[in-house]
Amino acid sequence: MRRRLQTGVGAGLGIGLAALAGALFAVAFWTDRPVHANAGDAVDYASPLEVQLSPDGARLYVLCQQSEEVRVLDAASYAVIRNIAVGRVPRGFSFSPDGARLFVTNSWDDTLSVIDTSTLAVVATWPVGAEPSSVVEDRAGKRLFVANRISNDVAVLDAQTGVEEKRLLAGRGSSYLALSPDGSRIYATHVYPNPPRVQTDLDNRREPESEITVIDAARAVVVDRMPLHAIAGVFHLAFSADGRLGVAAEYHPKNLVPLAHLEHGGAFAYTLTLFGADVGKASVEVPLDELERYASQPFGVAIAPDKSRIYVTSGGSEIVTVIDVPRLLRFIHSHNGPFVQDLSASTNYVVARIAVGRNPRGLTLTRDGRRLFVANRMEDTISVIDTRTNRVASTITLAGPKTISSLRHGEQTFYTARYSFQGQIGCSSCHIDSTFDGITWNLEPDGFGRSTVANKMLEGVKDTEPYKWTGTNPDIPTECGPRTEKYFWRSETFDNLTLADLATYIRSLPPRPNRWRLANGEQTPAQERGQEFFTRSVDKFGKPIAESNRCSYCHSGEKGTNQKISDVGTRKPTDNTGLLKAVPLTEIALTAPYLHDGSARTLEEIWTVYNPDDKHGRTNDLTKDELNDLIEYLRAR
Amino acid sequence: MRFSAKLPAIAGAVALLIPICGFAPDMAQSTAADIIVTAAPVYEPLAALRGQERFPKGAQLMLVHAGNAEPLVIGFAATADANVGFDGKTVLFAGKQASGDPWQIWELTLADHSLRKLIAGEGDAIRPLYLPAGRVVYARRTPQGFQLEAAGKDGLMLNAPVDAAAGSAVVPLTYMPASAIPADVLADGRILFEAGFPLGSGSIPELFLVYSDGSGVESYRCDHGSTRWGGRQLASGDVVFTHGSSLARFTSSLAHEAPIVAPRAEYAGAITETASGDWLLSARAGAGTHYSLKLWKPGAAALQTLLAESGQDLVEPVLVAPRRRPNRHPSGLHNWSYANMMALDARQSREGDLKVAPASVRLETLDAQGHTIVTGTAPVEADGSFFVKTPADKPIRFALLDEKGGVLRQEHGWFWIRRGEQRYCVGCHAGPERASENHMPAVLLRTTTPVDLSGVNVPVETQQKSPGGN
Repeated sequence: MRRRLQTGVGAGLGIGLAALAGALFAVAFWTDRPVHANAGDAVDYASPLEVQLSPDGARLYVLCQQSEEVRVLDAASYAVIRNIAVGRVPRGFSFSPDGARLFVTNSWDDTLSVIDTSTLAVVATWPVGAEPSSVVEDRAGKRLFVANRISNDVAVLDAQTGVEEKRLLAGRGSSYLALSPDGSRIYATHVYPNPPRVQTDLDNRREPESEITVIDAARAVVVDRMPLHAIAGVFHLAFSADGRLGVAAEYHPKNLVPLAHLEHGGAFAYTLTLFGADVGKASVEVPLDELERYASQPFGVAIAPDKSRIYVTSGGSEIVTVIDVPRLLRFIHSHNGPFVQDLSASTNYVVARIAVGRNPRGLTLTRDGRRLFVANRMEDTISVIDTRTNRVASTITLAGPKTISSLRHGEQTFYTARYSFQGQIGCSSCHIDSTFDGITWNLEPDGFGRSTVANKMLEGVKDTEPYKWTGTNPDIPTECGPRTEKYFWRSETFDNLTLADLATYIRSLPPRPNRWRLANGEQTPAQERGQEFFTRSVDKFGKPIAESNRCSYCHSGEKGTNQKISDVGTRKPTDNTGLLKAVPLTEIALTAPYLHDGSARTLEEIWTVYNPDDKHGRTNDLTKDELNDLIEYLRAR
Repeated sequence: MRFSAKLPAIAGAVALLIPICGFAPDMAQSTAADIIVTAAPVYEPLAALRGQERFPKGAQLMLVHAGNAEPLVIGFAATADANVGFDGKTVLFAGKQASGDPWQIWELTLADHSLRKLIAGEGDAIRPLYLPAGRVVYARRTPQGFQLEAAGKDGLMLNAPVDAAAGSAVVPLTYMPASAIPADVLADGRILFEAGFPLGSGSIPELFLVYSDGSGVESYRCDHGSTRWGGRQLASGDVVFTHGSSLARFTSSLAHEAPIVAPRAEYAGAITETASGDWLLSARAGAGTHYSLKLWKPGAAALQTLLAESGQDLVEPVLVAPRRRPNRHPSGLHNWSYANMMALDARQSREGDLKVAPASVRLETLDAQGHTIVTGTAPVEADGSFFVKTPADKPIRFALLDEKGGVLRQEHGWFWIRRGEQRYCVGCHAGPERASENHMPAVLLRTTTPVDLSGVNVPVETQQKSPGGN
């Protein structure tokens, strides 16, 4: 992740570039040639993640995640009007109902930028919750709702002051919000599956469960949680203008089936959940995939103003899928579901698959529905689709470096599904936004039903080799090279140079800011107490703890791993070995479930359920409060 | 050889294709390309599936260049089955140097017309196709009919026995008591082949798929019953084939074939797509006439004759031009002498899900004399799942049994699992459109050890003969 220039310098440069762009832009409206909206080299890739048209349709706002700015273009000519610097790693934005303000969530500095759309300047920066990812304002202009990915909630703020009123529990990895057309409800989705509520022997082998959290906008309370069974990863959600049809884009993993092959949807189904009056009482899940072609990693959803079409971006497949809504509704009402197992179902409602740029994400329609703008995050372009022909009419090229660096190439490789069999999966199918997916998988080489493994966070993975839970892969190229080709892609993989670039990208992923330490970076008293338990050499009864049985022995060093293999008594009957690598503690607070097989739902269960003999560190002498202190310390790592 | 004046139409028809997601036109074919076609007095396209000769009166490859058609290879008694290399510089073909020789696989370098023999042996080797990574696939005549083999033409095959006769590493890909003939190598790396349906026992020509290590064999689609052969993949990913004597296609979105409205004619399969999207194909008016080389713009009312020769069938046209290389399949076979097979829900079937829960599954194979042998039975869980160790590289099939041992449902054909292959199926004949659901198979909650039905540890005298026979 880039480190942006100082804000003042960045803003000044942005304004200067914008002015230069205004003088230099070339328009190629309704052509097949790229439209260059750039004005010289920018300091970093733009990585456009989201696009929005201003309520009057005159301006196109592009949220550029890597250059950490909002770029404002003329919606007709695509000329650059202004580049507005915002906070770190912005992830979502939306307009106030009157269009006077644009709110931007800055996910890595936990702030909300408020932009005055008349002056195109940031007029306020408000502190919000942990990793704000999406924001909407209610119709009355009284409250802002902010989805916080790390704290798994939706914060309710005073829309004028930014003062937080309360938090509403949402799904795990709360990330995307949508306001119903009548303004009465706010719908929240989340990217990681919810933890099982009840501990059973099958906790690590159960279908993931997700939800759409429904919030009463006037009362700011949760009024419903629509269950999304077997879903892990829900992204954008959109409504038809009449409010009768809601659509959410999502991943439907097959993590309980051994990952033996990819044909017939062996790893994922990529689906939509439909709900609302047009659908009926229950929500309906429909697949986007075909028998030999997948819509890998759906993200953005838009519904045409006349409700004739649904448009869905698929970041891995690099397409926009066009769905005929009347046909879709006829299909779901005239056939008995479930539909997700039928790879031929989509022929009943998909009318086009439009190739766009690399890693398409957010999308938005003009008010007349004639043009669809698609943000191609890994290409620094906006595809402009003529919805009458379902063709890319033009491509807006955003300012940015003119060459593709190794790092960028590695990131492109990470997010594409083009290397896997029939384009079904990419690295980011399981490592959502370069993180993890919160579920466990059964990899075929380990044996059917054997050695199931929890997928882990990639951030901070540099210099924590060996890799895999068993530590059998000495480095990232080994992890991502022939093994991935043979047992994940099941198809010809990238060449060695691309593999090296991919490894460069993965090694570049830094840990995100820690939210559990005090603002000054110091530890809380509980964390300090927990650190003493972590490093202690004598238990509460005065007995020495062998060095190898101290937390700080295996979980030593900056990243909390001595990078060695040991048996801490967590082997299950279906595991091939109990010899496991000491897992790094980087971002450990975020990465439940725990242990190699994801059997511990919480950090506490590591010791209270799965450490009966103190092989995983001496912990059975600790009280619950003391374990809580230990957990607090681990969260601060 | 008479040459139609319409050949330049190929160049005229070549234009940019509209990009279709996931697939792109082969831009290298956007200029007029030479054509190689097989000319034969008699062409019996399905004869090889019966173990017979497709060209009983000989055949000769012709190179059509700048309006002239000339023999491609000099000094051979017979040549056929041209397949152009991905770089457009070489041609694989089946050839007989003397009329009494078996068909063998040769490679011609177009620049200097040098020849080298790739695959030899006592039996015929026909219909060679290039695979990625310096390999080729072809059909070799065996006592069980033609079987697919893959060989590393440059010695690049790993873990493969060496064919001493050819000096090449050879891997058998099919293991059944019936013929298989390769038709095309798909963009995803799988080999499309023709065989009789039900596989290994039937006679209705049908299209099947297998990976280039012999694993993953399955029907392309399960709407069986019509005669389908001569399949070729288009740039769009669709597979076009001869259906009876007309044309039809498989698309990615449909679980069944889609008809192609084409001019009334008898088509010889193996169409070739030009960069403009026009099709080069062989067609004839009917029995008693000969196949000539045609150009057709899909949707047009009529075929254009490109090349016709009195008394000759002109079949299997290919363009002499670079083309997109299919993906290489990275073999994930384990170093085992057996294979593992799991059914997620054996009750699921395209013929209708079983209403009665099966109690067990019976595995059958064939012995060296072709007798059906039962290697054993394994329990089927309440959710329809079972997990068994199977014989490898042999014909096998399953039957679902009730509690009394009665057959609830039985496979009609045979398939195989490669040594070291570990796969699952969604159901029994569930069809390729049926995706797996995300359920934990009950059998894996009970045990992760497959029931050994490999027959390896079962004394021959205790193996049951199947009551139903073959």
